[in-house]
Amino acid sequence: MTTAVPEDRRRVTSRLTVLQYLITVLFAVLAIGFWVLQVVQHAKFEEMAENNNQRTLALRAPRGIVFDRDGRVLVENRHSYSISIVREQTKDINRTIRLLSQVLGIEEARVREVVDRHRHDPSYRPITVVQDATLAQVAAVTARRLDFELPDVRVEPTPTRKYPDTMAAHLFGYVGEVSDKDVAEDDDLHSGDIVGQSGIEKVYNALLKGEDGAKRVVVNSVGREIRTLEEDPPTEGKRLQLTIDYDVQKAIEDGFRVAGFNGAAVVLDPANGDVLGFTSRPSYDPNAFAAGIDRATWASLNTDDLRPLQDRAIQGRYSPGSTFKMAVALAGLEEGIITPDFHAFCQGHANFYGHEFACWNKKGHGSIDLRRAIEQSCDVYFYTVANMVGVDKINKWATLLGLGVKSGIDLPNEVQGLVPSTEWKREKMHEKWYAGETISVGIGQGAVSVTPISMAVYMATLANGGTRVTPHLLKAVDDGTGWKPVPPPPPQSKIDIDPDKLQAIRDGLWLVVNGGGTGGRARLPGYDVSGKTGSSQVISNQGRIAAGRTKKDLRDNGWFVFFAPRDHPLVAGVVFLEHGIHGGNAAAVTHHILDTFFAKKEGRPLPQVPADFHLIYTDPFAHLTAGPPGGRN
Amino acid sequence: MFERRLYYHIDWALLAAILALCVLGVAMIYSTTFDPTRGMSRMYITQLYAIVLGLGAMVFMLALDYRTFTDKSHLIYIAMLAVLLYVIFFGTVQMGARRWIPLKAFNLQPSEFAKLGVALVLAKFFGESRGTPAWGDLAVGAALTALPLALIAKEPDLGTAVTLLPVFFAIAYLAGMRMRIFGIMIVCLLLAAPLAWKFALKDYQKSRISTFLDPSQDAKGAGYQQIQARITVGSGGLSGKGFKQGTQGQLRFLPVAHNDFIFSVLAEEQGFAGVLVALGLYLFVILRALEAARLAKDRLGSYLVLGVLASFTFQVIYNITMSAGLAPVKGLTLPLMSYGGSSLIATLAGFGLVLNVRMRRFTN
Repeated sequence: MTTAVPEDRRRVTSRLTVLQYLITVLFAVLAIGFWVLQVVQHAKFEEMAENNNQRTLALRAPRGIVFDRDGRVLVENRHSYSISIVREQTKDINRTIRLLSQVLGIEEARVREVVDRHRHDPSYRPITVVQDATLAQVAAVTARRLDFELPDVRVEPTPTRKYPDTMAAHLFGYVGEVSDKDVAEDDDLHSGDIVGQSGIEKVYNALLKGEDGAKRVVVNSVGREIRTLEEDPPTEGKRLQLTIDYDVQKAIEDGFRVAGFNGAAVVLDPANGDVLGFTSRPSYDPNAFAAGIDRATWASLNTDDLRPLQDRAIQGRYSPGSTFKMAVALAGLEEGIITPDFHAFCQGHANFYGHEFACWNKKGHGSIDLRRAIEQSCDVYFYTVANMVGVDKINKWATLLGLGVKSGIDLPNEVQGLVPSTEWKREKMHEKWYAGETISVGIGQGAVSVTPISMAVYMATLANGGTRVTPHLLKAVDDGTGWKPVPPPPPQSKIDIDPDKLQAIRDGLWLVVNGGGTGGRARLPGYDVSGKTGSSQVISNQGRIAAGRTKKDLRDNGWFVFFAPRDHPLVAGVVFLEHGIHGGNAAAVTHHILDTFFAKKEGRPLPQVPADFHLIYTDPFAHLTAGPPGGRN
Repeated sequence: MFERRLYYHIDWALLAAILALCVLGVAMIYSTTFDPTRGMSRMYITQLYAIVLGLGAMVFMLALDYRTFTDKSHLIYIAMLAVLLYVIFFGTVQMGARRWIPLKAFNLQPSEFAKLGVALVLAKFFGESRGTPAWGDLAVGAALTALPLALIAKEPDLGTAVTLLPVFFAIAYLAGMRMRIFGIMIVCLLLAAPLAWKFALKDYQKSRISTFLDPSQDAKGAGYQQIQARITVGSGGLSGKGFKQGTQGQLRFLPVAHNDFIFSVLAEEQGFAGVLVALGLYLFVILRALEAARLAKDRLGSYLVLGVLASFTFQVIYNITMSAGLAPVKGLTLPLMSYGGSSLIATLAGFGLVLNVRMRRFTN
């Protein structure tokens, strides 16, 4: 050992030293690498790790429950499950779409379309594919999820709207996914939100929608939730109490069902404009929208000739026929042109400006005063008065009674009727008004058109002595701290109708029901029901002849407008039967509504729904009789 | 046999560092396989058993003079080839590869032990001849390495097969192979690379390499592990998320965390501090073993130590680099820490030889 170290020994030592340094350097490089990752770039990777394992899930807020005026539940929420795709966790979107559509049993194209529509959304936001999944669908997806086959598909409980079937469907409206346009306009809305699309769901969406909560959870690599980090529970939407009376509403719906006609009805409290009942028929099932309406149902609702989505009560414009006569009478009385004792002589027809105008009663009514003229619905009397008053004054008073203007009800997309005037004709038609045109207006024909809701306001105004109340649906709001009443909106206008003049009209309306008039079917002994029937053509007789044999329903529309009791009215409204043939048929439906209203008011048992109203279903004009145009009662 | 005085020459510091790494491994295995929702995992217990078995193997490798093993190395080598052949035909298939021989308690992976066999036979072969190895010697040595390498690659287990190469190069280097020849071989390898790419590599191997170069091109597939590894390590920070608190490993964003990516878990939960400790321990073990090679009383001992150390070092450096997402993902375990009985037992047995050489530096 003391001698020179052998050559190979030296070589081993030196080569080992090289290795020593080499390895030390490599380890130093490794340490630097880790330092860069763990210290220099730590913040970046920490955020990436959090994005990996933390998710914010939206907790859908249930919409507010809607009650009737007595606190009965009208619209509530039910538990349902929605199935959605979270693309953030998707490896292959095409595979997910294919597999998911198989598992759910729906068309691949439909899933793809939904995904495409939301392709610009942030990838962490779930795209809802099925809103109201069946239990079988939920089970199928859950099973696949556990097999890690669909880690990007989520099943989450979602509160879904539950409506009382087709009852008051147009009033409640429906909910659906918010449109891209609305999202762009309102910062509070996000793509995929469920918002009211019509009815009170739309008008009071801000109150009803509540506030979605959120949950921050830790998930593992296959998206399974491990634990909750923090939870911000959703706030349920405010509860709304409507002015609707469930019993009255049901009486209306039952009445239409038994009568077998489409149409609309509105029942108001004439004192303040509370809407007690409101319907439009045919109806649809808003529950179908709540669960995400399918294309076929939507298409059929839109192409249906009967237009079930149209809210006839506020969007249907119809000729009022004889129900318009009170407006003409009031104009004559208040303008001082006639008195209640003004008599006209009816010989079954009359000549104005060289044209022959027929009364519905060809035999004539003889000498007749205002009360009787209303009772008998004498056309000649109102031709005469209209001619004396002139179209502009008729327009003025009809407007003050609520006709030809919007009622201001708290529902979306109300349309306006029309009561013509010389100014209207000049502006719209660029033509002069001919005095001869006023004659038809006297019996609610010609250009006159009204919406059912405006007819209800008209009767309420006659009932309360001149206050054009604003019909409204919202009675009280509960934001969780107790019910706070919502004051009725101010009236649209207010006039003081001379009580004596008003009484003459009321007497006439009373006679229609309780005398020898056409509204006898609405009579309720002891309740002084006052009203007026009206029938209006949907096509002129000539037109009807020209149309020949057609599938189109060309039968007359039937009106009944009413209030009761005559002297201290508690209720006013309208029943409009589309192609209901006779106003008398509408009066029969009204009978059941008022019977229910008063029974409830007095605490009596509610009347049974009659099995049959024994209405007149034969169309008197089915044989296409030709004759001069004229009002029919 | 085992003389009492030899006991005093055991390198206790090296042994302590080795055991410290084993314990660190068990702790990380416990942390990453602990899942309260599925009851206690028994993986860390299996690992403890493997450590005990490994220590037994170590004692066995210590007990006899290392020259006894090298003298029998040709027999050991032939037996090893036989076992590797057996695996190819009769081994158990797991994850698409035939690598295991099923035993009662666990599956034995003979390729792990092949490293020792090759180290023994090469140490013996180069140790017998003095002076700079001739071309012929190198060719024989290369052939001795290539045979088991081919068999292991056939399983297929390219990762483990490749770990045999450092054994050959390290021993040849120490035996005095000219650096010029090293240079030539490196040039040849570089030239062979495109050919290997075209003919030898399988598609999944190619995709691993190409995604390493750009992990984002396949962020959900092959690049996923690499990206997740970086996130795991990077999110650990200076002091780590704490024992059992690592989200990446615990929530399984990182695959086979208890195995190939055990070092990532350590980095996540114990932070840069933990990484420095582990790197320090590994560096200490390697330098200490190099010391044993230097102290060895004969060339044979030096070659044997370096042969054992070569595959160990290669694997440690490669695995740690990979666990930080800085190398292509390859199924290579981290010796001493990763879960796996065969690897642990073979590694501990290998260090038995290292301790053996150092311990017997004064004997004749």
